[in-house]
Amino acid sequence: MEIVVRRRDDVTILDVAGRIAGSDSLDLKRAIDAQIEIAAGNIAKIVLNLERVRIVDSFGLGVIVAAYTSIQRNGGRIALLNVGGNIKNLIVMAKLMTIFDRYDNEDEAVASFQ
Amino acid sequence: MDRTPDGHVISLDIPSSMQLVYVLDSVISQILKEMGFDDESREQVNLAVIEAGTNAIKHGNKEDVNKRARFEFILNQDKLTVVVQDGGAGFDRNSVENPLNPENLLKSSGRGIFLMETCMDAVTYEAPGTTVRMVKYKKSPSNKQK
Repeated sequence: MEIVVRRRDDVTILDVAGRIAGSDSLDLKRAIDAQIEIAAGNIAKIVLNLERVRIVDSFGLGVIVAAYTSIQRNGGRIALLNVGGNIKNLIVMAKLMTIFDRYDNEDEAVASFQ
Repeated sequence: MDRTPDGHVISLDIPSSMQLVYVLDSVISQILKEMGFDDESREQVNLAVIEAGTNAIKHGNKEDVNKRARFEFILNQDKLTVVVQDGGAGFDRNSVENPLNPENLLKSSGRGIFLMETCMDAVTYEAPGTTVRMVKYKKSPSNKQK
């Protein structure tokens, strides 16, 4: 899995590529945890760009759900960007469509934090 | 083009390391492509096999690399059967909570079995719960065995 971390204003965007499955999912967990730690004292505003993610399994979904609850608990927010195919189906099956904020456009995702 | 030889069996036997889940992803992806499953079915079976593999490696064999997780892919013209076996103590399907219950929705784990059963047409567990058999049909939903 490849993760590129970049900033737009006070929003952190994680561009993820590859598969969020099996032990690879822990790379994403570490990357998100690092951003939560960096934001310590401030509100974490994170966009998870899944455009180049080929597959997410239950373990990977669990990492994203855990990140959602952790960030939410600290007053922050995580938004999902470019949720397609397998991942969208997975979220629908798991009845999490109403939980996650999803966007197809990066500008809209970033603006949603303002 | 359908190049599926009827009744052929492909076996895979891997050490119980979560770092090897990618092998499953690669193998099942290629089998599904060769069998001519549609895109949606390919995604579903791919996910179900990864989930079954994760269960065997993580929960069954407790990630003990000295234990093997065994996979059999039985290719037929009309269906793919996947048999996954681990060397663990087994489990009771009835003891697994429903991840769709409101109190479970935001839990970070517990969706693997549910996803396997949702994505495949038939899933059966053979006593004592160390073997799971999953079937996906190539035809329309009317052919489903659920």
